[in-house]
Amino acid sequence: MGEALQALLGNINPYLLQIIVNIGIGIVLALGLNVITGLTGQLSLGHAAFMSVGAFSSALLTIHTGLPFSVNLLLTGIITAGVGVVIGYPILRLTGDYLAICTLGFAEIVKVIFLNLDITNKALGLSVPPPHTTIPMPIMVWIVVILTIIVVSFIHNSRFGRALKAICGDEIAAEAMGINVARYKVQSFAIGTFLAGVGGGLYAHFISYINPSDFGFLKSIDILSMVVLGGLGSIPGSVIGATILSAAPEFLRFMASYRMLVYGGLLVFMMIFRPNGLMGGINFTEVVLRAIGRKPHMKELMKHEKPEQ
Amino acid sequence: MNFKKIAALLLSGALAMSVTAGCKKKEEAKSAADTIKIGFLGALTGDVAMFGKPTLEGMKMAAEEVNAAGGVLGKKIEIVEADDRGDKQEGASVTQKLISRDNVVAIVGDPTTGITKVAAPIAQKAGVVLLSAGATGPGVVENGDFIYRDTLLDSVAIPACIDFFAKDMGYKKVAIITSDNNDYSVGLSQTFRDAAKGKGIEIVADEKVKDGDKDFSAQITNIKAKKPDVIFFSGYYTEGALIMKEARKQGLKANMFGGDGLFSPKLIELGGDAVEGTMSALGFSPEQASPVTAKFVEAFKKKFNGAEPGLFDAQGYDAIMLLADAMKRANSIDPKVFKGTLAQTKKFEGVSGTISMQANREPIKSPLALLVVKGGKFTLKAKVPVKMD
Repeated sequence: MGEALQALLGNINPYLLQIIVNIGIGIVLALGLNVITGLTGQLSLGHAAFMSVGAFSSALLTIHTGLPFSVNLLLTGIITAGVGVVIGYPILRLTGDYLAICTLGFAEIVKVIFLNLDITNKALGLSVPPPHTTIPMPIMVWIVVILTIIVVSFIHNSRFGRALKAICGDEIAAEAMGINVARYKVQSFAIGTFLAGVGGGLYAHFISYINPSDFGFLKSIDILSMVVLGGLGSIPGSVIGATILSAAPEFLRFMASYRMLVYGGLLVFMMIFRPNGLMGGINFTEVVLRAIGRKPHMKELMKHEKPEQ
Repeated sequence: MNFKKIAALLLSGALAMSVTAGCKKKEEAKSAADTIKIGFLGALTGDVAMFGKPTLEGMKMAAEEVNAAGGVLGKKIEIVEADDRGDKQEGASVTQKLISRDNVVAIVGDPTTGITKVAAPIAQKAGVVLLSAGATGPGVVENGDFIYRDTLLDSVAIPACIDFFAKDMGYKKVAIITSDNNDYSVGLSQTFRDAAKGKGIEIVADEKVKDGDKDFSAQITNIKAKKPDVIFFSGYYTEGALIMKEARKQGLKANMFGGDGLFSPKLIELGGDAVEGTMSALGFSPEQASPVTAKFVEAFKKKFNGAEPGLFDAQGYDAIMLLADAMKRANSIDPKVFKGTLAQTKKFEGVSGTISMQANREPIKSPLALLVVKGGKFTLKAKVPVKMD
């Protein structure tokens, strides 16, 4: 099967494929952060650190064990989520700026630990061998992307997801409604870091050489920009945000040294004209349902003057 | 006109510009059918642009010279440049772009070891020659038989330096300082420790610092107690300058010695009198030049208003010349063919020294330039010969 898939991909320009993989990894990371920051409203500036935990665990699993890549990714996610829970338990009691600073501090600690561990080859970084799988990397990445979108959509629409939205809206009110705020926060952190770990694992095998200094503060900000650009709490938003920001540096390449200027300008314009992000405040499911005629359009509703819901 | 209208106008302007820019590129590509395309992979913007920019300058100069002399096998060399901002993910994309979009036969880059390690598997898989004009760390050419570099390796330079120190300078005791969040520094220190074994040099202290540190008093206090003849610092010039300032403040007389990471005018700017006597070992110096190098230095000065060429200029220049030489000897511009002749390069007279490729495809270069800060300027202390087979 692996060869057939590989042959299929052979028709696509490898450069385009590379960008598509970059986008896929960006989406997984952005959706993970979206659960923490968008849905639950807990600002985390340490997402890249969890990504690095995932990248190094996944690389080490490939180097030292013969586990198939899918199992490897699952284990990686669980390890990262474990780290996320251990970290999240004490620091999620904090809110706002304090939490942000705490996650920032944690990210630095992770970097220093990896810089000093022998198993991660200290500052020299790890060369990652090809993953134990016959499925080509781009397809693997996009299988994970689709699974992630499905799972995250379920979470958004579940009782659990609504509880998270309630915490995002007002923590005290949520607690008054009988939501165990501390528990739900840690759980959302676990899900977000799980996805960060999986994204890191994919990144490590895709890029084939990782170094602790790749996962610095700027990487966290990159992921946060994807989520904010797309719209906090919106799944299609995160997908679009990750797509635009992952692809932009390549599509703007013809501008040579001005391209990062345009990249920055794009973010500034976005924040001025759509402060809630591209998809912020738009209910995607409703838009789709209306478009395919399963739900009346807003104009029709207004014409009949009998709003539903 | 309101704000939104102005914004719309600006955006449409940018769009129009991008469209025309795109067209121009296509025309260029059409007219350049009879050229040999060589890609440049490196940072032109960002933190490590100081390595990428001179490499590209050197490459362009070499291409101009080759083209003026009739090109290679009747074809002109065309350099396709691509900026990777020193970012690994972008380095991977750029490598892929150069190979599949621009159809280059060879890529020169990246000047840093990290991105070269990311680019190497991609080039190897695609069957395109990758020649790094700057990667000195381990684990580069191991990626496959399409991967080369033209730099003086730390594993070659450091033993030669140690020999020189032990024999000519009479040093016995060395204190090592490593910047342990810097992969270059960690690698270089390890090379030094390995090379010092059995050479009659004793490592009396092994201290650790970090890139970005400002206070080195604790480390210097420890080192001072051990009375070393020389301090080996494997990191970059910023920390190097601050370490020497602290050392002089505490009255430590020993001088500092390091790799090309110390070689920057910034070292002297930051360190002032304290860095007098600091030594840096690197693969190139415009002084005491061989005839080939002298010619290059002169041409460079003419082109860049009297500026002296640096290590990366010379290595970028040599990279193109090495590739052109290999293509000529192979009588082919197919990377599968000329990679073989590139591997057989022996005693190639480059502007950054004589280059030979070993059986394991690692280059050996001679001589090594040992520079010392004297009177607020880097001057040549000695050209240390490296043993070649």
